Amino acid sequence: MTDAKAPTDAPGDCNARVQELIKYVKLPYDHVELTGEIKVPKIQRDSMIKVHAQQLTSKDTLARLGYPTDGLIPNWKEVFLEKMDEILKKYKSVRLFMDICVRCGACTDKCHYFLGTGDPRNMPVARAELMRKVYRRYFTWPGKLFGSKFVDGWDLSEEVLVLWYTYFYQCSECRRCAVFCPYGIDTAEITMAAREILNSVGLVQKYMHEIIDKAQVLGNNLGMQANAVVNSLEFVRDELQETTEIPEIDVPIDVEGADVLFVTPSADFFASPHIESLYGYAKVFHQAGISWTMSTHASEGGNFGMFVHNYEHMKKINKRIWDAARALKVKRVIGGECGHMWRVLSSFSNTMWGPFDYLDAKYPRPQHICEFTLDMLKRGALKIDKTANAEFTATIHDSCQVARGMEMGGQKYGQFEIPRGVIKGVCEKFVDMPENTIKERTFCCAAGQGLLGDDMMPTRVKGAMPRMQAYSYVKKENGVNFLALICAICKAQFSKMLPTYGFPMEEVGGIHQLVGRAIVLGAKEGI
Amino acid sequence: MGGIQFIINMALGSLIYLGLLIFVVGFVHKLYNVYYKTPQPLKIPQTPQPTTLGGVILRMAGDVLFFRSLSKGTTLLFFSGWIFHVTFFLILQRHLRYVLSPVPACVTFLNQAALFIGFVLLLALIVLLVRRLLDERTKYVTNFSDVFVLLLIIGIVTTGIMMRYEPFRPDVVGVKGFISDLLAPATAVGYMTLHPAHAPASLMFIFHLGLVSILLMYFPFSKLMHSGGYFFSPTRNMINNPRDVRYVNPWDKGSKEEATK
Repeated sequence: MTDAKAPTDAPGDCNARVQELIKYVKLPYDHVELTGEIKVPKIQRDSMIKVHAQQLTSKDTLARLGYPTDGLIPNWKEVFLEKMDEILKKYKSVRLFMDICVRCGACTDKCHYFLGTGDPRNMPVARAELMRKVYRRYFTWPGKLFGSKFVDGWDLSEEVLVLWYTYFYQCSECRRCAVFCPYGIDTAEITMAAREILNSVGLVQKYMHEIIDKAQVLGNNLGMQANAVVNSLEFVRDELQETTEIPEIDVPIDVEGADVLFVTPSADFFASPHIESLYGYAKVFHQAGISWTMSTHASEGGNFGMFVHNYEHMKKINKRIWDAARALKVKRVIGGECGHMWRVLSSFSNTMWGPFDYLDAKYPRPQHICEFTLDMLKRGALKIDKTANAEFTATIHDSCQVARGMEMGGQKYGQFEIPRGVIKGVCEKFVDMPENTIKERTFCCAAGQGLLGDDMMPTRVKGAMPRMQAYSYVKKENGVNFLALICAICKAQFSKMLPTYGFPMEEVGGIHQLVGRAIVLGAKEGI
Repeated sequence: MGGIQFIINMALGSLIYLGLLIFVVGFVHKLYNVYYKTPQPLKIPQTPQPTTLGGVILRMAGDVLFFRSLSKGTTLLFFSGWIFHVTFFLILQRHLRYVLSPVPACVTFLNQAALFIGFVLLLALIVLLVRRLLDERTKYVTNFSDVFVLLLIIGIVTTGIMMRYEPFRPDVVGVKGFISDLLAPATAVGYMTLHPAHAPASLMFIFHLGLVSILLMYFPFSKLMHSGGYFFSPTRNMINNPRDVRYVNPWDKGSKEEATK
C-alpha cells in the first residue's frame, strides 16, 4: 500500500502546524441540566472540535513504547498508510467494519458523547467515517483508480490528522453503538486502530500511554515500586485490623502456595472510594476462609494496552499476572472490580497466555470477584447483616466493558445477574435505572478507555449526562442514594461527576464496599 | 436482423454477462479472500452473545431474519428497512420463473399479491430515501453513494412495476426465451462469435435489465456487501466462551515456552 505518493505539500514543518492545531487548551465546561430524561440533541457542528487530549512528550517514554519521539514525523503519510494497511490485514473486525456500514443512522443517537454534546462527529457512524474516508480513498479499487471525490473519501492531509486526533480521543470504546448496529459494527475496534495509527506517526496521547508504559516498566498503572505496593497494602491491613478488631485479618502479599492470586486495579490500594472495596474483598476472603495473596509483580489488574490496537503492549502487561500465578503456585486467579481489566482477563488472556491448565479446572479461569462472592453467599459461607446497609437504596451502573464484553458465570446475561445478585444479597433495597440505560444498553461513565485525564473534563462532564439523567430519575422516583460500581475508572469518574451534577460524592462506591459493610466478621463458619 | 437490433442484443448481452461476472467474482473474492481470510486476533463477541454455537446461530438468524439488533434502536428505520428487505427478497425469488422451467409452486404462490408486494417495496424504498434526506443525523452521514444505490433500486423496481401495465408490457414468452437463451452455454459461445441472444422488443425491459446489470457490477464494491459481510462479523459470529475454550490468534499462536519464559 505505498502507491499513495505522499504529496509533500508545503514541505516546511508539518509537526509545528499540526501541534498548533491540536494544542491542549484548558476549556471551560458546564454540566447539562438534569431533567431525568435523556433527550437527543440537535446537531451542533464542531461543538467539541476544540477538545484535544494532551500529548505525550517524554522522549524516554515514547522510545520505550516504540513510537516516534519528536512529534509528527516528516514522512507521516507513508507510515500512516503502512500502519493502516498492517492493521487492516491483521484485524478482521477493522477490515470488515470499514466495508459493510450502510450509514443507516441506527447508531447516531446512541453515543453518550453525542447525546451530551450534539457534535455530529461524535455520532458513531460519523466517527468511523473519519477512517472510512481514508480507507475508501487508499484501500479500495474505485478510490485508487478515480480518487477521493469519486468515493466520498479524503486525501491524507494535516486536517485529517487533526480530526482523527480530536475525535478518536472522544470515543471511550464502550461498544454501545454496536448493540444497535444491524451488523454489529464495533466502533471500539475502529478507534483502537485509529489510535495506533496516530501513535505510529508520532501523535501519542499522554494519559493513557504514560500508563501503558508504567504498567510495563513498574507493573502498575500508578507507577509504584514494589516496596510502595507493600507499604500501601500493609496500611490497608493495619486499617482493617484496627477497624474490625480482628488481628488475623490480612492482606497477604506474595505468599507462595496460596489458593488464590487476587489482582485488582492499583487504584484500589488507596484511592477513594476504591479502597472501601479492597476492605470488602479482604473481608470476603477472610470470612470464606480461603487463602489468598496479592502480588507485587502483578500489582495491577488493569491493562490500558487494550485501548489501542497494539497487541504487544497489552500482551506484555497481561503476562505479569500469569507469571505471578505460576511463581506463586496458586490454584485460582480472581480479579477485583474493574471493567476493561475484565475484558482483557476473561476474553483475551486465554488467547495471549493460555492454556491455564495449571490452575484448578473446577473454577472459571480467571474468575470475577462477584462470581466468587455470590458463590460464597449462596453457599452460606458468609454471614450477612443487611441492616448495616439499611440507609442505602442502591442502584447499579453496569460498566460498559463488563456489560457488553464478556460472560460471567458461564451463562448469557451472567454479567448482569451476578453483580445484582451480590448487591441484593447484602442490601435490602435495590432499584434498577430505566431499561434503556442499563445492562447491554448501559451508558459508559464517559471516562473509560483512556479518557479519564483532567484534560478531558469537557467531554467527561457532557458524556456523563445520560447516566446522570438516569440516576437523577431513580433518585427522584425511588429515593436511590447509592450508585454501586464494579470498575475503578467508573469510581474515579463518578466521584467527580456526582458533585459536578449536584449530588453528594459519598453516593458512589463499589459493590464490595456494600459487601464489606454487611459481612459479620468473627462468626466464622467457613465452607 | 436489423443493425440496431444487433447492437441492442450485443450491448444488453455484454452488460448482463459483465454484470454477472463482476458480481460473482467480486462477491466471492470479497467473502473468501477478504472477510474470511483476514485473521481475527481476539474474541470480541458482544452481548447478548450466547455461550454455545447453537445459540450463536439463533442469534444471527434473529438479526438476519428479523433485524433484532436494529429493532432495539429506531422504529421507523427498522420497519421500513425490514419491509424493504423482505419484499425485495419475495420479488427476487419470483423472478426465478424466468430462469426455471417448469416453474415450481414456491415461486408462483404469490401470483395474486405480487404486484401489491411490488408497490410495498417501492413505498419502503421511498420512505428510506425520504428519511435519509430529512432525518437530520442520518442526512449528516449520508454519502452520494447511499442515495445513488437507493435511486438505482427505485429505478429497477419502478421499471419492473411499469412492465405490468400497458403499453410497457413485454412479450413474456420473448423475455423468458431471451433469458434462457442468455444462460444457455451455446449462446455464450454465440455471443463471442457475435451471434447474441435476441432481446425482446421492449424498451422498458431493456432499461430494467440494464439497471440490474449496473447494480450487479456495483455490488461488490459497495456497502451492499453487508449482505454477505454480516456473517463474518466477529461481534456476532463468535461464541462467548473465551475462558472455557482457548481461542487461538492466527498470527500469534503462542506457546508453552513463551508463556513460561
